[in-house]
Amino acid sequence: MSILDYFKPVSTWAAEKVREFLNEKTQEGYNLVDVRQPEEYEQGHLPGAQLIPVGELPNRLAELDPNKPTIVY
Amino acid sequence: MRSRAAASVLTGAGFQEVHSMEGGIRAWHGLVAEGIPEARMAYFSPATRPEEMIAMAWLLEDGSCKFYESLTETLDEQEAKGLFQNLKRSEENHKTTLWKLFEEISGKTPTHEFPHKMIPTEPRGDVMEGGMLVSEALKWSKGKTLKDILELCLSLETNSYDLYLKMEQKVETNKAKQVFKTLSEEEKNHLDRLTSLFSKTLETKS
Repeated sequence: MSILDYFKPVSTWAAEKVREFLNEKTQEGYNLVDVRQPEEYEQGHLPGAQLIPVGELPNRLAELDPNKPTIVY
Repeated sequence: MRSRAAASVLTGAGFQEVHSMEGGIRAWHGLVAEGIPEARMAYFSPATRPEEMIAMAWLLEDGSCKFYESLTETLDEQEAKGLFQNLKRSEENHKTTLWKLFEEISGKTPTHEFPHKMIPTEPRGDVMEGGMLVSEALKWSKGKTLKDILELCLSLETNSYDLYLKMEQKVETNKAKQVFKTLSEEEKNHLDRLTSLFSKTLETKS
Protein backbone atom coordinates (compact mmCIF):
# COMPACT_ATOMS: atom_id res chain seq x y z
CA MET A 1 0.00 0.00 0.00
CA SER A 2 1.36 3.40 -0.89
CA ILE A 3 0.89 6.58 1.08
CA LEU A 4 -1.50 7.82 -1.60
CA ASP A 5 -3.97 5.12 -0.66
CA TYR A 6 -4.75 7.09 2.48
CA PHE A 7 -6.16 9.84 0.35
CA LYS A 8 -8.49 7.74 -1.70
CA PRO A 9 -12.05 8.68 -0.95
CA VAL A 10 -13.58 6.12 1.37
CA SER A 11 -17.29 5.74 1.86
CA THR A 12 -18.33 6.35 5.44
CA TRP A 13 -21.60 5.29 6.96
CA ALA A 14 -23.13 6.63 10.15
CA ALA A 15 -23.71 4.07 12.89
CA GLU A 16 -27.45 4.34 12.34
CA LYS A 17 -27.05 3.50 8.67
CA VAL A 18 -24.93 0.49 9.58
CA ARG A 19 -27.58 -0.66 12.05
CA GLU A 20 -30.32 -0.47 9.42
CA PHE A 21 -28.17 -2.33 6.94
CA LEU A 22 -27.33 -5.13 9.37
CA ASN A 23 -30.96 -5.48 10.39
CA GLU A 24 -32.09 -5.86 6.80
CA LYS A 25 -29.52 -8.41 5.74
CA THR A 26 -28.63 -11.85 6.89
CA GLN A 27 -25.11 -12.65 7.88
CA GLU A 28 -24.22 -14.27 4.56
CA GLY A 29 -24.91 -10.95 2.87
CA TYR A 30 -21.97 -8.93 4.16
CA ASN A 31 -18.55 -8.80 5.80
CA LEU A 32 -18.46 -6.97 9.13
CA VAL A 33 -14.89 -6.42 10.23
CA ASP A 34 -13.54 -5.03 13.48
CA VAL A 35 -10.06 -3.76 12.67
CA ARG A 36 -9.08 -2.79 16.21
CA GLN A 37 -6.81 -4.72 18.54
CA PRO A 38 -7.95 -7.91 20.31
CA GLU A 39 -8.02 -6.13 23.70
CA GLU A 40 -10.43 -3.55 22.33
CA TYR A 41 -12.53 -6.19 20.67
CA GLU A 42 -12.82 -8.03 23.95
CA GLN A 43 -14.16 -4.93 25.67
CA GLY A 44 -17.00 -4.68 23.20
CA HIS A 45 -17.76 -5.30 19.56
CA LEU A 46 -20.72 -5.41 17.22
CA PRO A 47 -22.48 -8.77 17.33
CA GLY A 48 -21.08 -11.08 14.69
CA ALA A 49 -18.12 -8.87 13.85
CA GLN A 50 -14.99 -10.62 12.69
CA LEU A 51 -11.77 -9.48 14.32
CA ILE A 52 -8.93 -8.68 11.92
CA PRO A 53 -6.61 -6.02 13.38
CA VAL A 54 -5.78 -3.48 10.73
CA GLY A 55 -2.12 -4.47 10.71
CA GLU A 56 -3.00 -8.05 9.81
CA LEU A 57 -5.57 -7.15 7.21
CA PRO A 58 -3.36 -7.22 4.10
CA ASN A 59 -2.32 -10.80 4.92
CA ARG A 60 -5.78 -11.99 5.79
CA LEU A 61 -7.81 -10.79 2.82
CA ALA A 62 -8.58 -14.37 1.90
CA GLU A 63 -10.85 -14.63 4.95
CA LEU A 64 -13.28 -12.15 3.40
CA ASP A 65 -15.46 -12.37 0.31
CA PRO A 66 -14.58 -9.41 -1.93
CA ASN A 67 -17.96 -9.57 -3.65
CA LYS A 68 -19.96 -8.84 -0.52
CA PRO A 69 -20.53 -5.36 0.87
CA THR A 70 -17.95 -4.85 3.60
CA ILE A 71 -18.27 -2.68 6.68
CA VAL A 72 -15.20 -1.89 8.75
CA TYR A 73 -14.86 -0.08 12.04
CA MET B 1 -8.59 6.36 11.72
CA ARG B 2 -7.82 2.71 11.45
CA SER B 3 -11.07 1.89 9.77
CA ARG B 4 -10.41 4.28 6.91
CA ALA B 5 -6.99 2.77 6.42
CA ALA B 6 -8.60 -0.67 6.45
CA ALA B 7 -11.25 0.46 3.98
CA SER B 8 -8.63 1.70 1.59
CA VAL B 9 -6.67 -1.55 1.86
CA LEU B 10 -9.82 -3.46 0.96
CA THR B 11 -10.77 -1.14 -1.87
CA GLY B 12 -7.25 -1.43 -3.20
CA ALA B 13 -7.52 -5.21 -3.08
CA GLY B 14 -10.56 -5.14 -5.34
CA PHE B 15 -13.38 -5.34 -2.82
CA GLN B 16 -16.61 -4.29 -4.50
CA GLU B 17 -18.22 -2.15 -1.84
CA VAL B 18 -16.51 -0.96 1.32
CA HIS B 19 -17.84 1.35 4.04
CA SER B 20 -16.13 2.64 7.11
CA MET B 21 -18.35 3.21 10.14
CA GLU B 22 -18.22 6.83 11.18
CA GLY B 23 -17.16 7.37 14.77
CA GLY B 24 -16.30 3.71 15.24
CA ILE B 25 -17.61 1.72 18.16
CA ARG B 26 -18.20 4.86 20.25
CA ALA B 27 -20.88 5.93 17.82
CA TRP B 28 -22.63 2.60 18.14
CA HIS B 29 -25.22 3.23 20.82
CA GLY B 30 -26.46 -0.26 20.86
CA LEU B 31 -25.69 -3.59 22.23
CA VAL B 32 -22.13 -4.70 22.02
CA ALA B 33 -20.84 -8.16 22.64
CA GLU B 34 -17.99 -8.65 25.03
CA GLY B 35 -15.33 -11.13 24.22
CA ILE B 36 -14.08 -13.24 27.03
CA PRO B 37 -10.64 -14.40 26.03
CA GLU B 38 -10.56 -17.75 27.79
CA ALA B 39 -14.18 -18.62 27.14
CA ARG B 40 -14.40 -17.41 23.61
CA MET B 41 -11.22 -16.89 21.65
CA ALA B 42 -9.56 -20.06 22.83
CA TYR B 43 -12.44 -22.17 21.60
CA PHE B 44 -12.50 -20.42 18.31
CA SER B 45 -9.17 -21.38 17.00
CA PRO B 46 -9.63 -22.49 13.40
CA ALA B 47 -9.14 -26.05 14.57
CA THR B 48 -12.20 -26.04 16.81
CA ARG B 49 -14.26 -29.04 15.90
CA PRO B 50 -18.02 -28.73 15.49
CA GLU B 51 -18.57 -31.21 18.33
CA GLU B 52 -16.62 -28.93 20.64
CA MET B 53 -18.65 -25.92 19.60
CA ILE B 54 -21.87 -27.79 20.23
CA ALA B 55 -20.67 -28.92 23.64
CA MET B 56 -19.64 -25.42 24.58
CA ALA B 57 -22.96 -23.98 23.44
CA TRP B 58 -24.79 -26.66 25.40
CA LEU B 59 -22.90 -25.80 28.58
CA LEU B 60 -23.67 -22.12 28.15
CA GLU B 61 -27.35 -22.79 27.54
CA ASP B 62 -27.44 -25.03 30.59
CA GLY B 63 -25.93 -22.28 32.73
CA SER B 64 -28.40 -19.72 31.39
CA CYS B 65 -31.32 -22.03 32.21
CA LYS B 66 -30.16 -22.24 35.80
CA PHE B 67 -29.73 -18.48 35.99
CA TYR B 68 -33.17 -17.69 34.57
CA GLU B 69 -34.76 -20.31 36.77
CA SER B 70 -33.41 -18.79 39.95
CA LEU B 71 -34.41 -15.33 38.77
CA THR B 72 -38.03 -16.48 38.45
CA GLU B 73 -37.81 -17.68 42.02
CA THR B 74 -36.34 -14.53 43.51
CA LEU B 75 -38.05 -11.75 41.53
CA ASP B 76 -41.40 -10.30 42.56
CA GLU B 77 -42.33 -8.49 39.36
CA GLN B 78 -44.89 -10.64 37.54
CA GLU B 79 -44.02 -9.53 34.04
CA ALA B 80 -40.32 -10.18 34.54
CA LYS B 81 -41.05 -13.53 36.16
CA GLY B 82 -43.07 -14.52 33.10
CA LEU B 83 -40.37 -13.43 30.69
CA PHE B 84 -37.64 -15.31 32.53
CA GLN B 85 -39.81 -18.42 32.63
CA ASN B 86 -40.23 -18.18 28.87
CA LEU B 87 -36.54 -17.60 28.32
CA LYS B 88 -35.69 -20.55 30.52
CA ARG B 89 -37.97 -22.81 28.50
CA SER B 90 -36.49 -21.54 25.28
CA GLU B 91 -32.92 -22.24 26.47
CA GLU B 92 -34.08 -25.72 27.49
CA ASN B 93 -35.21 -26.27 23.92
CA HIS B 94 -31.86 -25.05 22.68
CA LYS B 95 -30.18 -27.69 24.80
CA THR B 96 -32.33 -30.39 23.19
CA THR B 97 -31.59 -29.01 19.73
CA LEU B 98 -27.85 -29.02 20.42
CA TRP B 99 -28.01 -32.53 21.87
CA LYS B 100 -29.66 -33.80 18.68
CA LEU B 101 -27.20 -31.96 16.49
CA PHE B 102 -24.32 -33.55 18.37
CA GLU B 103 -25.85 -36.97 17.81
CA GLU B 104 -26.25 -36.30 14.11
CA ILE B 105 -22.80 -34.90 13.54
CA SER B 106 -20.77 -37.28 15.64
CA GLY B 107 -22.89 -40.36 14.97
CA LYS B 108 -22.71 -41.07 18.69
CA THR B 109 -25.43 -40.98 21.29
CA PRO B 110 -24.40 -38.38 23.82
CA THR B 111 -23.84 -39.71 27.30
CA HIS B 112 -24.17 -37.73 30.49
CA GLU B 113 -20.49 -36.93 30.05
CA PHE B 114 -21.17 -35.37 26.66
CA PRO B 115 -20.59 -31.69 27.16
CA HIS B 116 -17.85 -31.81 29.77
CA LYS B 117 -15.75 -34.40 28.01
CA MET B 118 -15.66 -32.33 24.85
CA ILE B 119 -14.27 -29.14 26.30
CA PRO B 120 -10.48 -29.11 26.46
CA THR B 121 -10.29 -27.05 29.62
CA GLU B 122 -12.97 -27.78 32.14
CA PRO B 123 -14.90 -24.63 33.04
CA ARG B 124 -14.71 -23.72 36.70
CA GLY B 125 -18.38 -24.24 37.32
CA ASP B 126 -21.69 -23.64 35.60
CA VAL B 127 -20.97 -21.10 32.92
CA MET B 128 -23.79 -19.33 31.19
CA GLU B 129 -24.13 -17.45 27.94
CA GLY B 130 -21.60 -14.70 27.93
CA GLY B 131 -19.08 -16.89 29.71
CA MET B 132 -20.02 -15.71 33.17
CA LEU B 133 -20.30 -18.08 36.11
CA VAL B 134 -23.89 -18.64 37.20
CA SER B 135 -22.91 -18.48 40.85
CA GLU B 136 -21.20 -15.12 40.34
CA ALA B 137 -24.15 -13.73 38.44
CA LEU B 138 -26.60 -14.85 41.10
CA LYS B 139 -24.51 -13.41 43.86
CA TRP B 140 -24.29 -10.16 41.96
CA SER B 141 -28.01 -10.00 41.25
CA LYS B 142 -29.01 -10.19 44.92
CA GLY B 143 -30.55 -6.90 45.99
CA LYS B 144 -30.15 -5.42 42.50
CA THR B 145 -33.01 -3.65 40.78
CA LEU B 146 -34.85 -5.25 37.91
CA LYS B 147 -33.26 -2.69 35.62
CA ASP B 148 -29.74 -3.81 36.59
CA ILE B 149 -30.65 -7.46 36.19
CA LEU B 150 -32.16 -6.84 32.78
CA GLU B 151 -29.04 -4.99 31.77
CA LEU B 152 -26.93 -8.01 32.68
CA CYS B 153 -29.27 -10.33 30.78
CA LEU B 154 -29.09 -8.05 27.76
CA SER B 155 -25.32 -8.27 27.63
CA LEU B 156 -25.40 -12.03 28.14
CA GLU B 157 -27.88 -12.53 25.33
CA THR B 158 -25.91 -10.20 23.09
CA ASN B 159 -22.88 -12.37 23.70
CA SER B 160 -24.70 -15.56 22.88
CA TYR B 161 -26.16 -13.99 19.76
CA ASP B 162 -22.60 -13.10 18.76
CA LEU B 163 -21.42 -16.61 19.64
CA TYR B 164 -23.95 -18.33 17.39
CA LEU B 165 -23.29 -15.95 14.53
CA LYS B 166 -19.62 -16.91 14.78
CA MET B 167 -20.31 -20.60 15.09
CA GLU B 168 -22.43 -20.33 11.98
CA GLN B 169 -19.48 -18.75 10.16
CA LYS B 170 -16.97 -21.31 11.37
CA VAL B 171 -18.83 -24.54 10.96
CA GLU B 172 -18.71 -26.24 7.60
CA THR B 173 -21.56 -28.71 7.48
CA ASN B 174 -24.83 -27.27 6.23
CA LYS B 175 -26.91 -28.92 8.90
CA ALA B 176 -24.87 -27.35 11.69
CA LYS B 177 -24.86 -23.98 9.91
CA GLN B 178 -28.63 -24.10 9.75
CA VAL B 179 -28.96 -25.00 13.42
CA PHE B 180 -26.64 -22.21 14.57
CA LYS B 181 -28.48 -19.78 12.36
CA THR B 182 -31.80 -20.71 13.95
CA LEU B 183 -30.29 -20.46 17.41
CA SER B 184 -28.86 -17.04 16.67
CA GLU B 185 -32.24 -15.86 15.42
CA GLU B 186 -33.86 -17.06 18.60
CA GLU B 187 -31.26 -15.34 20.76
CA LYS B 188 -31.95 -12.18 18.77
CA ASN B 189 -35.60 -12.63 19.65
CA HIS B 190 -34.70 -12.98 23.34
CA LEU B 191 -32.77 -9.76 23.01
CA ASP B 192 -35.78 -7.99 21.55
CA ARG B 193 -38.02 -9.19 24.36
CA LEU B 194 -35.53 -8.23 27.05
CA THR B 195 -35.03 -4.87 25.39
CA SER B 196 -38.72 -4.11 25.37
CA LEU B 197 -39.10 -4.95 29.06
CA PHE B 198 -35.94 -2.98 29.77
CA SER B 199 -37.25 0.16 28.09
CA LYS B 200 -40.53 -0.23 29.94
CA THR B 201 -38.57 -0.32 33.20
CA LEU B 202 -36.80 2.87 32.18
CA GLU B 203 -40.13 4.59 31.45
CA THR B 204 -41.67 3.79 34.80
CA LYS B 205 -38.58 5.05 36.60
CA SER B 206 -38.62 8.47 34.99
